[in-house]
Amino acid sequence: MQRPYSLIDPLRRQLGPIENHLVDEFLAGRLSRRFFLRRASVIGLGGPVLGAIAAAFGPWSAPLVQAATGKPGTTIRVGTTVPAGAIDPVTVGDTGGLLMLQQVGEFLVFDQQDLRLAPMLATSWKPNQDGSVWTFTLRQGVKFHSGKTLTADDVVATIDRLADPKNASNALSVFKGVLSKGNTRKIDDHTVAFHLDAPNGNFPYHISSDNYNAIILPADYQGDFEKTWDGTGPFRIEKYTPKVGASFVPNPDWWGGRVLPARTEFSFYTDQQPQVLALQGGQIDIVSQIVVQGAQGLLGDPDISIIKIEAATHRQVHMRCDIPPFNDKRIRRAMALTLDRPAIVTGLFRGLSDLGNDSPFAPVYPSTNKSVAQRRENIAEAKALMAAVGSKGFSVTLTTEQYQEMPDYAVLIQNAAKEIGIEVRLKIEPQDAYYGSAVFGKSDWLDSPFGMTDYGHRGTPDVLLAAPLMSGGSWNAAHFRNPAYDKLVAEFVAAVDLSSQRAIAGKIETLLLEETPIIFAYFYDFLTATRKGVTGAEPTAIAQLFLQSASAG
Amino acid sequence: MRSGWGAWFARRISLSLLTLFLLSLVVFAGGQLLPGNVGRTILGPLADARAVAALNHQLGVDRPAIVQYLGWIGGLLHGNMGESLEFRSPVAPFIGAALVKSLKLAAVAFMIVVPLSIGGGVVAALKAGTAIDRTISLAGLSLTIIPEFVSSIVVILLFGIWLRILPISASWPEGAGPLDQLRHLIPPAIPLVVIQFGYIARMARAGTIEALEADYTRTAILKGLPRALVVQRHVLRNALLPTITVIATQTAYLVGGLVVVETLFRYQGIGSLILTAARGKDFPMLEGGILTVGAVYIGATLIADALAVLVNPRLAPEMTG
Repeated sequence: MQRPYSLIDPLRRQLGPIENHLVDEFLAGRLSRRFFLRRASVIGLGGPVLGAIAAAFGPWSAPLVQAATGKPGTTIRVGTTVPAGAIDPVTVGDTGGLLMLQQVGEFLVFDQQDLRLAPMLATSWKPNQDGSVWTFTLRQGVKFHSGKTLTADDVVATIDRLADPKNASNALSVFKGVLSKGNTRKIDDHTVAFHLDAPNGNFPYHISSDNYNAIILPADYQGDFEKTWDGTGPFRIEKYTPKVGASFVPNPDWWGGRVLPARTEFSFYTDQQPQVLALQGGQIDIVSQIVVQGAQGLLGDPDISIIKIEAATHRQVHMRCDIPPFNDKRIRRAMALTLDRPAIVTGLFRGLSDLGNDSPFAPVYPSTNKSVAQRRENIAEAKALMAAVGSKGFSVTLTTEQYQEMPDYAVLIQNAAKEIGIEVRLKIEPQDAYYGSAVFGKSDWLDSPFGMTDYGHRGTPDVLLAAPLMSGGSWNAAHFRNPAYDKLVAEFVAAVDLSSQRAIAGKIETLLLEETPIIFAYFYDFLTATRKGVTGAEPTAIAQLFLQSASAG
Repeated sequence: MRSGWGAWFARRISLSLLTLFLLSLVVFAGGQLLPGNVGRTILGPLADARAVAALNHQLGVDRPAIVQYLGWIGGLLHGNMGESLEFRSPVAPFIGAALVKSLKLAAVAFMIVVPLSIGGGVVAALKAGTAIDRTISLAGLSLTIIPEFVSSIVVILLFGIWLRILPISASWPEGAGPLDQLRHLIPPAIPLVVIQFGYIARMARAGTIEALEADYTRTAILKGLPRALVVQRHVLRNALLPTITVIATQTAYLVGGLVVVETLFRYQGIGSLILTAARGKDFPMLEGGILTVGAVYIGATLIADALAVLVNPRLAPEMTG
């Protein structure tokens, strides 16, 4: 079919090499429309070019920003996990807390449900030639709830505060090796440049809503967020009672236009079951996050809707590469080959999950190289590998956490391992005992020869490729050291265009299948439950919940 | 007699203070054994070690344990329970609010279970060996073994979701009057009544049977007193003594030990406050919570002992001894 390229060509002359390469990849048919849009959003390709491509190839399936269509003026009642401590954007690290931050605060960039980045407080962004400096243009006329106007000074102060090792910042692990204090620089009142520690093709994700600590605060923030709740978002605080709940009212000065609900009310719960019962009993409209275990009743309930987001949330089953019994990669591969992944996903998640292929590359990421074959259960091959090592089997303890489906998954591993003569004993601990001090030598997580750990969703695989798998990585429970791997990851992180990312991803995936330091059997979906009739609620896979377009009709 | 009461009271109070002091030491020592540290708990296992160290320093938990304890107890002696490490604000308002809620729930549960179980136990004793006795005893026993999480969910499903006549959450809306509060407290009180009924009724039954067989009761009956008067004057007074003690010991459970019921009914009592403080290694909150429950328990036993004397003045000399 003849494509009307003439419409796009004049616009392409304004683009840099990175942007033009992406357009070429799409026009050549090597990128699906979905992945093209995601990648275009990362490198800040938007507006006229996307519009021209849309005109040439037909409209896109999904709008960039969800339109508010429901009944205005309703009260939205949400059940959620109790915030575990003080609400402070610098330190918060739990789902209840990050949900509170995001009710009043906003990010430079919003990582949408399908991993496309949308403008929030930044209207556009672009990398330099090698992706080592990213420049963001800020939205003009944005006001904090206190009345102060947002400027580049606020952005610089916020990001510097989070990148400062002296500040107990929970974002420090995201910025490690990416962005250092002092390297966020004001160009003018509405332009900020980030000078990165190394070239990074996915940098916008690191300061997007994905980095839940990165809500933009006034430059003079004093650490007293629970007193001021000063953000730029669609809702202002009405009342916050620690351990009990919170309520919010619309911000009439919000830059984004009309806020649909008259009020939002959050009730805090320490457990999922009472939230499920409250939803069924009509006392709340939304449960911000449900996991399949214990919420099976909701999945088939005709009065309940489930919002499902494909995510990268997963469990890592690490096998220590430096000590027996898993110091031979053939034994690690044999172990991974015993798992019947489709059956595991059906049993644990009712199928609401993607399969993992023993690398952090979840199917949801555009950079994942899907030409690498999926690992399947193969007991004959596993037995052959064991025989090749000369092992008739052994016994080993699998240490893990008492958390969600993890004990059930551990039992499935235990049963599967029997097939090749490996006797798995289970040691299931409370979460804090499992993590211990979370440093090598004082943590069952990092010290156990065979362990299973929970990992949340991330918008890009970068952090998951580095900390748990690179030599000297601070979460490297598998004690995996492989210089070839380290080099590939550095290349992947620096790659700015998607085809390079995919090519390197293919090499990483193949290397990890060969070495198998960690079993990644599944990446399960993020689920939010609502009462039928609730519209416009927009959760994200890291447990945020955007309610400005919500209605409880 | 009056001076006897005063001396008894003073002695009990000083013993109680000593107990609370020892309790605070035990809690503190126990807290040191918990794995991890508060900075790590707040920031999570994946946080950068530099951030954890910075937070621990800000919170002052990188100081030697004994310095932290002395600092805390010094504050307590000046009426300051300290500041929560997790919530970074004073613990007293948290504990005060949670204690009031726990006491309200305990009061509602007691108001239902005490008359019900004592009545049941006494009736069973008076009809000992009959079908009525067997029904009450068996029902009590069966109810006691139903775990709270089962009875709580049955209550929520039955009254909250199917019949929709009682609220699912025990937390009443702001500004709710006493009657509305009571309505919210009945559902969580039911599982507590279910658990307590069998135990208290059994004690009341045993005490009554013992009193019925006692010499003074036989004498009273032989004197020709009407049976109702014998029960009222001689049997109940003596029969209820052990029951009062049992009820008092249940106070600590009802005030501080209701984690499951508080969780399922979304009620912010002191039981769940203590549990989350222990999980978070929030030492001032944990100490404050446990000492408060300890004080309530000591207060309840004090009242029970005083009541025992009022019911049976022959016990009084023991107090002064």
